[in-house]
Amino acid sequence: MEKIQVAKTASRGIAVAPVYYFQEPDLTPEMGQIPADEADAQAARFESAQDTVIEELSTLAEKHEIFAAHQEIAGDFMLREGVLTKIKSELKNAQQALEETIQEISAIFAGMDDEYMKERAADVKDVGKRLMAALKGVRLPDLGNMDQESIVAARDLYPSDTVKMNPEFVKGILTEEGGVTSHVSIMAKSMGIPTLVGVQGILAKLQDGVMVCMDAEKGSIVIDPDEDTRTQYLRKKEAYEKEREMLVQLRSCPAVTRAGKRISLCANVGNLEDIHHALPMNIDGVGLFRSEFLYMENSHFPTEEEQFQVYRQAAELVPQELTIRTLDIGGDKELPYFEFEKEENPFLGWRAIRISLEMKKMFKEQLRAILRASAFGHVRIMFPMIISMEELQEAKALVEECRKELCAEGIAFDEKIEVGMMIETPASVLLAEEFAKEADFFSIGTNDLTQYLLAVDRGNKKVADRYDFMHPAVLKAIGHVINAGHKEQIKVGMCGEMAGSPAAVPILLDMGLDEFSMSGGSIDYVRKLVLEFEN
Amino acid sequence: MVSRKITVSNQSGLHARPAGVLAQAAGKCKSDVIIKVGEKTIQAKSILNIMAAAIKCGTEIELCCNGETEEEDLNKIAELIESGLGE
Repeated sequence: MEKIQVAKTASRGIAVAPVYYFQEPDLTPEMGQIPADEADAQAARFESAQDTVIEELSTLAEKHEIFAAHQEIAGDFMLREGVLTKIKSELKNAQQALEETIQEISAIFAGMDDEYMKERAADVKDVGKRLMAALKGVRLPDLGNMDQESIVAARDLYPSDTVKMNPEFVKGILTEEGGVTSHVSIMAKSMGIPTLVGVQGILAKLQDGVMVCMDAEKGSIVIDPDEDTRTQYLRKKEAYEKEREMLVQLRSCPAVTRAGKRISLCANVGNLEDIHHALPMNIDGVGLFRSEFLYMENSHFPTEEEQFQVYRQAAELVPQELTIRTLDIGGDKELPYFEFEKEENPFLGWRAIRISLEMKKMFKEQLRAILRASAFGHVRIMFPMIISMEELQEAKALVEECRKELCAEGIAFDEKIEVGMMIETPASVLLAEEFAKEADFFSIGTNDLTQYLLAVDRGNKKVADRYDFMHPAVLKAIGHVINAGHKEQIKVGMCGEMAGSPAAVPILLDMGLDEFSMSGGSIDYVRKLVLEFEN
Repeated sequence: MVSRKITVSNQSGLHARPAGVLAQAAGKCKSDVIIKVGEKTIQAKSILNIMAAAIKCGTEIELCCNGETEEEDLNKIAELIESGLGE
């Protein structure tokens, strides 16, 4: 038994389960020619890898439809012929033959006109990875493979990993890297999975299958617990779940303070799935719809039509406000199909609105898609990273241009659509009075604002403990922004992690914040805090 | 070899799901099953080959079977395509 105490809670909760050790193996193919008399043996190795993978996928196919298609691809005639020809006629070893065949086939799909078919290239590559792992005799970690309740231990988890996660089996997450505002933290919170991030040295202490108890709120981890400890954690887990149940009971109450002030409790979402998760929590809308996923999980800049379809679905799902933030890319977020120049200071570089205002054609496609979706719900447009009045006016002028175009084309949109901005740069805090005259609403983005105000890189382990949204300078800035907004009668919200922090909520309520938007996992608890608030 | 001309009626053409149904059924045939579309010759036993051909709704294809059970196979596959491949 070994106890570890850490500081960074990403998502509250208690878990007791064996470890699922998530480690990406080296899948680089061995390249090389083979002697002619070895061809049959190499072909047999490929065929047996194919059998293994098909077997593997047939189990997975019962759980998810996508794997049935993968199974079909793994056993495919064209793929098999391609590989076997390369082995037998060109005398390449099985790994090289597979690598080249997968590349050829995925290139065919990637080059097709049809968007749907283009995306199939990813399926082919995915199957290729699985076959390569079988050929090399290594186990491919795939969170979609999990078939029992586990705590996932990983260096870090990426969107492509977490998208496959089945919340039924993932009972907890421990990562060696990452901060409380990293992708995995945000995702874990929205799914309500107990998570501790930045646990240094944890991987060296764990192996696959070892039992772990964790209390993510207190930051305690026990590896290989004795019977007493395990029972104690299971009891705590039960108590925690009872509290959760009580919070669920409160969902039907609108968020009103004891003094009668109605507060908007909204969700931050990264895709349609998140909206589905958040809706049962009786939210007052979506305060932040990150449009990035449309760009990041794609092979090309999404077209107006593709974006419209998604925004429209979102607008129809959410009966109240849906605040769509225009593309916020750059910084730590990159695109697979667009080369960003390497920058010395990416967070101070070419990102968010700066990119949109330069790539006007792309930006207008997004604005038109949002405007068109506004005919189907209560949509709001929000610009990220604004530092100057000129930027806000230029972005608003583009909205106006799109409105005129749509009018001329006879396409419907909400004439009264609100256009607001994020307050996340020191410049926008200092100019809040002026901005309040131009913007229809404010939303304070505390993750970036804190890092810019304090000059602390939240991803840098050495200074991460100086990153603190409760710092007096940050609180003072927030108070100033709320007052400036209220002076012009516009609503001021917050969509950073701070809005879901139990310590910060009473302070923010006291300052008069109108809207709290946060990841799904915090909403129930914040509702309780609002209901208990005196003023 | 026997062959028959058929028009694809699936609304989004032969995308992944119908392509999968077709490849699976063709895979069970003892004879070779080939689809001709314009200049292209497609192995009906390969889902990748079918999908890569991007056959759209309303396209006329020629289904060819060659082998011992060709008559039986041709009827079976033609019927399947005409019925919309499970869609």
